[in-house]
Order: sequence, then C-alpha cells, then structure tokens
Amino acid sequence: MSPLTYIIGWPLLMAVILAFIPRNYRVLMRLGTLLATFLSLLVAVKMFVQFGGAEVGLGGYRFVQQVPWVESLGISYYVGVDGINVGLILMGALVAFAAACVSWEIKTHEKEYYLLLLVMTGGILGAFSSLDLFFFYFFHELALVPTFIMIGIWGRGADRNFATFQITMYLTVGALIALAGLVLLYLEAGLNTFDLVRLTEHLQNNPLKAGAQNFIFPFLLFGFGILVSLWPFHSWAPVGYGSAPTATAMLHAGVLKKFGLYGLIKIALPLLPNAAQGWVHVIAALAVGNILYCGWVAMRQRDLNLLIGNSSVAHMGFTFLGLASLTLIGITGAVTVMIAHGLLAALTFGLSGYIYNETGTLDTRKLGGLLRPMPFIGTAMVMAMMAGCGLPGFANFAGELLVLFGAWNSLSGFVVAAAWGALVVGAVYMLRAVRNVVHGPLPELERTPRDANAWRKLPFVLLLAALLWFGIFPSVLVNKIKPDAARIVKMVTGSEEPATAQAMAALKRGDAKN
Amino acid sequence: MDTLPWIILLLPLFSAAGITIFTQKNRDLSAKLSIGAVGVGFVLSLILFVSYRGEAVPTQQIEWINLGKLGIDIGIQLDAISQLMLLIVTGVGGLIHIYSYGYMREDRSVSRFFASLSLFTFSMLGIVLASNFVQMFIFWELVGLSSYLLIGFWYERPSAADAAKKAFITNRLGDFGFILGIIIIWALLGTVSFDVARDKLAADPALLGSMATVAGLLIFCGAMGKSAQFPLHVWLPDAMEGPTPVSALIHAATMVAAGVYMLCRTFFLFEVPQAWPEAVLGWFPFLEGITALGIIAWIGGITALLAALIAVQQDDIKRVLAYSTLSQLGYMVMAVGLAAPVAAMYHLTTHAFFKALLFLGAGSVIHAMHHQQDMWEMGGLKAKLPTTYWTFMVGTLALCGVPPFSGFYSKDAVLAAALDGHHGSPLLFVLGVGVAVLTAFYMFRLLITTFYGQARSEHAEHAHESPRVMTLPLVLLAVPSLLAGLWGIDAFAAKMLPVSHPIEHHGWFHAVLEPVNHSPLAATFGLLAVLVGALGAWHLYRGVERDPVERRRPVLSDFMRQRFFFDEIYQFFIGLTHELIARISSWLDQWIVGGLIVRGTAIGVEITGRLLRLVQTGNIQTYALLLVAGIVLVIVMTIRATTH
Repeated sequence: MSPLTYIIGWPLLMAVILAFIPRNYRVLMRLGTLLATFLSLLVAVKMFVQFGGAEVGLGGYRFVQQVPWVESLGISYYVGVDGINVGLILMGALVAFAAACVSWEIKTHEKEYYLLLLVMTGGILGAFSSLDLFFFYFFHELALVPTFIMIGIWGRGADRNFATFQITMYLTVGALIALAGLVLLYLEAGLNTFDLVRLTEHLQNNPLKAGAQNFIFPFLLFGFGILVSLWPFHSWAPVGYGSAPTATAMLHAGVLKKFGLYGLIKIALPLLPNAAQGWVHVIAALAVGNILYCGWVAMRQRDLNLLIGNSSVAHMGFTFLGLASLTLIGITGAVTVMIAHGLLAALTFGLSGYIYNETGTLDTRKLGGLLRPMPFIGTAMVMAMMAGCGLPGFANFAGELLVLFGAWNSLSGFVVAAAWGALVVGAVYMLRAVRNVVHGPLPELERTPRDANAWRKLPFVLLLAALLWFGIFPSVLVNKIKPDAARIVKMVTGSEEPATAQAMAALKRGDAKN
Repeated sequence: MDTLPWIILLLPLFSAAGITIFTQKNRDLSAKLSIGAVGVGFVLSLILFVSYRGEAVPTQQIEWINLGKLGIDIGIQLDAISQLMLLIVTGVGGLIHIYSYGYMREDRSVSRFFASLSLFTFSMLGIVLASNFVQMFIFWELVGLSSYLLIGFWYERPSAADAAKKAFITNRLGDFGFILGIIIIWALLGTVSFDVARDKLAADPALLGSMATVAGLLIFCGAMGKSAQFPLHVWLPDAMEGPTPVSALIHAATMVAAGVYMLCRTFFLFEVPQAWPEAVLGWFPFLEGITALGIIAWIGGITALLAALIAVQQDDIKRVLAYSTLSQLGYMVMAVGLAAPVAAMYHLTTHAFFKALLFLGAGSVIHAMHHQQDMWEMGGLKAKLPTTYWTFMVGTLALCGVPPFSGFYSKDAVLAAALDGHHGSPLLFVLGVGVAVLTAFYMFRLLITTFYGQARSEHAEHAHESPRVMTLPLVLLAVPSLLAGLWGIDAFAAKMLPVSHPIEHHGWFHAVLEPVNHSPLAATFGLLAVLVGALGAWHLYRGVERDPVERRRPVLSDFMRQRFFFDEIYQFFIGLTHELIARISSWLDQWIVGGLIVRGTAIGVEITGRLLRLVQTGNIQTYALLLVAGIVLVIVMTIRATTH
C-alpha cells in the first residue's frame, strides 16, 4: 500500500473511532487526534525523505496506488506524489499536527470538534494526493464543509455569523465554478476517465481546440482563484480567518487554500496550455492586486488577525505571479512559496490564537510589550513577522526571490510592483504589528499573560524549524520540484528551456552520486 | 586553510544560536561565548591575512539553489579588501564585544544582547565574504535584522522601538532598488557571481547596454540605505537609541560601512560605458551624459555637507557622533563616485578605528554620567576621566585630520581624488574642504564642552573613570587611530581596486610625508581646514554655559537642530502618498468589496431566504447539506451526459 493511503487514512480512521467514544472522554479524544495526525506526519516525513530513491511510475509519479471504483465512469481511488505535491503533503501533515496541538483552547463540544478536525485533515491530505479528478474534488469538499461548521460553532468575535456566511458563500461558489470547469474538461477530453495522468497524456498529444480551451480556462482560473482568495475575490479570507477557531484558520489558510493553486498548476496549466498563455497578463495583474492592494489594506488593520489574514492574502499574489511567469524558476518559486506560506500562516494564526487566549483581545491598540511576560511567544512572533516580510533564512524568502527572478523576463513591470509589495509594504505592516503587539510598554491587562510551557511550544517550534530548514537549505525542496516544474513548463510553452536540460542532467548526476 | 574562512563565518552563528537556546540564564557564559567566537575569528583572520597578504584566493562555493539559468551559491571570496574587512570586523568588533561586557553588565537581558551581537557579527562577515550578489543581499538583510534587534534592544521604550522600525523600513527602501538591480544584472549577464560578471564585462563592456547606468544606480540604492546616504539618511541618528556599544560597532564602524564596501566590491559595474534607456531619456533629456558615478559622488558630497551642518548644533554627544558618521560616510561614497575606491576603503578603515574609539569614549562618559547624554550637563571631565579624555582626544584629532593621525591620510586621499584631473570635480573639492572645517568645528565644540571648563551638573562633579574592561578597548583602539595612516592600507587595497596613479608603500617614514608629495594642494587645504574649524570652536565655546550660536543665529540654529526638517517633510509626503493609498484601499475593501458587493449579495440572499422561510432555517448545517446536494446533482448530470 502507498504511504499516501496511510497519511490520508489515519485521520479518517480516527474520526470513525471517535464517533464511538463517549463524549465525556475528552482527554482520550484529544490524544486520539494527536496520535492520528502525528502518525500522518511521521509517514509524510518518511515519504519526503525517501522520495529521491523511490521508483518513478507513470507520469512521473511515485508511491502510486490505484484501486478502481466506478469503472463505468472511469473513477478510481488513485494517489501518488511528484515533486510538486510531496512538499505540500509534508507541509499539510505538519500543519495538521500543529493544529491538533493548539486545539486545547476548545472547551465545548469537543467530540464534534475533533471529529471535524480529523475529517478536515483527511480531506486536505487526500485532495493533495489524488490523481483522480473525482477524488481530488471530493476530498476538497470533505475538508471544506467542516471549515464552515467549525467557524460557525467554535468561531469568535462579533462578526462570526457574517464571516461564516461570507466564507461559505464564496468558497461554495468558487468550488462550483471550478467543478463546472472540471466537468467541461472531462466531457471535452472524451476519454471517459477522471484519471489525471491519462488525461494529461492524452491532452498533451491531442490538445483541445483553442476555442474549447479558452472557454474552460476562466472557469478553472476563477473557480480555483476564488478558493485561493485571488484579488478581488479575497474579502472572505481575512474576516473568515479572523473569526475562525485557531486550528481551522491554521489548516485552511495554511493548507486547504493551496488547493486552488495546486489545481491551477496541475490541471489548468498543462491541460489548457494555449489558453494559459493568453491569460498570463491577467493573472499577473491580479497577482499584483493581491500583493499591493491587500498589503495596503493590511497596513490599516487594527486587529492582529485581520492584519495577518490580509497579509496571507497578499502572499498568495507571489504564487500567482510565479504561475504567470510560465518559467521553470517562477513555477518552482510559486510551489516553494505555497509550502513556505502554509507553514507561516499556520504559525502566525497559531501565535495570534495563543495571544488571544492569554489576553482576551487582538486589538493592537490594547496590546503591547508582550515580549516581557512572554519571551518565547514574543520571539516566535518577531520571527514569524520577519519571515512574513521576506527575511532570508526563512523559506518564504527563497520562494519569493525565485518568483521575482523567474517573472522578470516576461513580466518585468509586475515584478517591480511585487518587489515593492514584498520589501516595503510587507515590512511596514509586519513591523507595525511587532511594534504594537510585542514591543512598547505592557498595558494594563486583566491578568499577566503567561508564556507557553514546553508542550504548548511544540507546534510553534516545529513550524519555525521547518521554515528555517527550508529557508537555509531550499535545495531540499527546489531539487524535488524542479523536474516536475520543468515538465509543466514544457507542456505549457512547448519548449524546454535550454538551460533546463543541463539542470536535469546535473540532477541525474547528483542522483547517481547519492 | 580552505576551511578557515568558513570557521570565522560560522563561529558567531553558533554562538548566537547557542546563547539563544542554551545559556539564556547564564549571563557570564553568554558574554564569554560571544566574545570567544569573535576573538577566535580575529586570530584566524590574522592568520589568513599574514598567509595571503592581499593575494586573491580562488573562490570556494557551495550550491544553494540551482535552477538552470539561475545558479546561486554560498561562497567565500577572499581577496585584499575582504581580508582587510575581516580584520576590521573581528578586531574592532572584538574590542567592542569586550567593552560591552563592562558596559552592559547591569542589564537584565545581557544574554539577548550578546546573542544579537553575535548574529550581527555573523551577518557582517557574510557580507564581507560574499562571492555573489544574492549572497550579499541575503546577509545584507540579516545585518538589517540584527541592527533592528539591537536598536530596539530596550524595546519597552517607545522611542527605541520606533527607531528600530524606522531603520529597518528605510533600509528596505534601499533594498528595493538593490534587488531590482541584482535581477537586471542577472537578466543581462546570466550570472549573479561577482567574478563571472566582472570577467564578462571585461570581455564585453557593452553587455549591460542601455541599462548600464540604471543597473549601477539601483545597486547603489542598497548602499544608500545601509550607509545612510541622503535622502535615506534619516534612520541613522535615531538608531542611537540602541546601547552605545551597538552605536559604535554597527552604526559607526562596520555595518554602515557595508554600503561603501559593496560599492568597492562591485566597482566593475561602474566602469562600463554609461547609457540610459531611450524611454528615460525621452522623459528626462537632461540625464544625457550623466554617469552613475557622477550621481554617486554628489549624493556622497551632499550627505557629507548636510550631516556636518546638522552636527554643529546637536547637544546629545551621541547625536553629534552620529551625524559625524553620516558625514564621513558621505566622504567615502563621494570617493567611490570620484572613481577612487581605494580612498574609500582607506577612509573606511581608519574611520572604523577612530569612530569606534569616539563612540566607546562617549559611552564611557555616559556611563560615568549615569546615562546623561546632554553635553551642556557635563564639563570639566578632563581630570576625572583621564584615560577617556586622552583617548577621546586621539579620536578627535584623527577624525579632524591632524597629521600624523590616521584620519589625515585617508581624508587627504579623498580630497586628492576630487582634484584628480580625469575624474575629479573642483566643486566637490571645495565642498570636501568645507566639510573638513565643519568637522573640526563640531568635534572641538564637543571636546571643549564635555571635558573642559567647569562641571555643570551634579553628575559631572562626581564622575568616575570607567572600569578597566571598558578603558582597555579605548587604549587599544587609540593605537591604530594614531598609526593606521602609516601602514600602507591604501597600497594594500590598491592590489585589487582600480587606481588613477600607482600607490606603493615604502615604509613608515616615507608614508608620513606621502600626502605632501602626492597632492600638496589637498594636504595644505586639509590642514588649513582643521586649523580654521578648531580655532573657531575654541573662540566660541571656551568657558561658555550655553551654546552662543543658538542666541546669535536663532533661525539657522533652529534649522540645524531640527535636522532641516527632513523627518517632518518625509512624514508629510508619506502621509500624502503611501499612507493615503493604504487608507483608500482599506476603505474600498471595507465598504465596496466587502460592503456593497458582499453585503449586497447577503441582503439579496436574506430576502430570498425570508421568502423561502417556510422551507429553510438558514443555519450552517443546512448550507452544508445544500452544498452536498449540489455536488450530487452535478455528478448525476455528468453521468447522464456521458451515458448518452
């Protein structure tokens, strides 16, 4: 069996078990959730480490497993990883474990909460593992529905109901538009299969007519785009995250949101190459909208969660810009940003959740000087904010740098704007947050906030360590992403970048050495 | 030998990490770790210096990112200027580490202080040893981080927290240009490596084409931020909110010099034929014929003059020194612009010695005065702080440029470059001499007011000399401040930098009179400038209680005291532009995107919902149910479509 089945299976299995545990066994439910997510994480780490040595199957996928299900429709349970999703799955499993760790804040209806959390986790990891479009979409919905419910029930703040409504409406509409695009694609291809590998291969050899491509592409772009909070369809995100319970915000902003991007990279670009090329300037313009507009909005926020939420939306712009570049460097950068931002979003929402629980507010005007009573949380906050404004040493820098380099030749004007957003606007709002929350004198609070104990530190330490590890040694990620990003670029543009061939040769030599 | 530079680079990183993770509670051990790391680094740097003597060593590289066209390595570039900088960073840095051990002893966060100091040393060494543009940018940003952490060391003070933020963001403005410059150079040359780029440009100087000047200026933007050149100079004076040893190490001797070092390192970019893109010339025809170096020289000159004028009317002794640093950095940048990078490196080196000495001396005074920094509260400290006084005197004479103190020789090299027939500019020479007059004036004003006359406050009467751990670094820094002009530093830097005339070192005796032989005009005017400035200060400030300039020239004095209102003007413009855009975006987001559109839809749905009230309750589970129902519906339709 593929390790992916274990990664998806542990949380879902535990969710089933939880359903049979009496509701007052709270500790048991918490331990069960931690255990399941931890096992997923272990398998994901093992898979990531063994990735280079694994056997490469059809379409460049490794650790493949296929079980036919509805053969008349061509639906099968089909999972596998390549360089693009292996890092995403590792990141997702890590964030899921961290989200389970920070769930100590939940004090009501624990049974339903942990059950939904596990379903969400299983759904997320499944969506990123599936090579079958049906399951790809099904797993996403499996993760999405718990998100709405969790915000509605365990959410906080006065805006909770509106936030729930807005996020539900937006994401449902987005998912349905994307679904329409997928269904159209399925019909146009006429293969009677949901198998992504076969579809890709077929459409590569027999491309769809330009008219069909141009008709389907906007469905995927805007459907998936809404799921990633593409500007100007982003307003659900900051408010939604601001009202969500900590773990939900971490999982959604960190991992589930990347689903749309993943769909664009894996489906929209390679299957609709001609249409993709025609849309790059639109995508780049919207990406700059994300980076600059949402960055400016973030500058004006007084609520820490809204600030983080807007900054998270702004960071998505870099992935869109990387996609639009249609270059090896840009797309590799985009995937790196996806992973880095997943870790960072989880870290920042986790920290703000901790601060909220200790101080009872996230209003930056009422906070300040938290570094003194909470040295660990304060330091982690400073590090997270620095990672957020692209400080070298954190994975975000490596990804954003690659995006800027990759997009320069075809989209230089957009790169100038994006660099302004990354270096200046990002620094302004991130440092304002540090100044207002962590630095300055400590205001009068109801009680002195306590620093995290060793156990509470664990999720933050893990996320920070991953950010630093990928930031200091980005080639761990980049070398995995490179061959598959190169293949996608070749499928879209039809030409292999000359230097890419050399890079592939160099990579093969490197593999031989290992 | 190959591993030595790596050890020098990584030791401070290990020290920073070790202190942060393990020795937070043990202040003494933290300090010793940090001092040990930089101390060992100094010894190893000396070994490198003695064994290579300025010879370029083949560059070592480790692959960091390899994506075909974009190859980024982390490497070690060991040649004359990096060997020199290694000695400055670990040597001057080491002394300041030791001094901090005394100065910071009573602070409760000593461990955090030394961890940040070690992080800074690591980052600075990374800049010094960088072998390519991206690596330099990486460490450039890390230096910015350590500077942020150290300026904001006393983060509970709002002024310190604000100053740290301002420093980081102002630097980021420069880095915005820097990274774009790097990307342009990569796009045109296909490499980010210094060596490869230099070789390519040597083979074909026209490779940068019409972007040559723009690329050079964008790279210079980085230097403008870090070396605090006009108009990005506003952060450096505020950076004095950090502890005084930090001001000495980062905001005087090393970090702020990084910009100058970077310009020397990338000087080959400025030697290629200059050209502007057609589009730019179409809008701004007056740019035709203006070179990147020309702009750099004038930015440096303007910074030197502005800062010197402001320094004349500051009362806080650290602020006087801060503006003096700005002004001296202006000299160095001006030297680069005058195509004399050797003079820039020379002045950078001597300045590191005497400015670190002056800051540490000021720290000793502040320590003795119980953290009083206003010079008008001092006076008569000469007898009470003898070691501080004498070493401060050495620093002052070196800064003003009195022979045979080191500053005389390096400043003379800068002034001589302005007189150079080919690249020089008489106007900048006059400006440079004017700045020298002002320098002598404000330094003697500081010296006289602080150390001479009567004690003007309680603290000044009861001041005591600082402990040995603080005075020893002062004495050790006074030695190179006096002698560094005779060591042939310029000849050493000239081994790898372009020069307009051959520079050779023929021993100490010859070096003493070298300026008079080389450019008698520059030497004469330099000496006259010191004389005029010092006598002026002596005449005005001997035995006075308040600043007479304030009374006699109130408008001028106010302008200088308010730093020519740069902060206020910037505040106004930022409020009018960037903040305004942010306000508008935020308003749009709240009321149009999130308001009209979303809430409008919400109201629409609400009305529909009310109509369908009998069917639905409108709660969240129902939405979820509907969603699933929708999916099922679409799937059913799909199945129908495919079976037909």
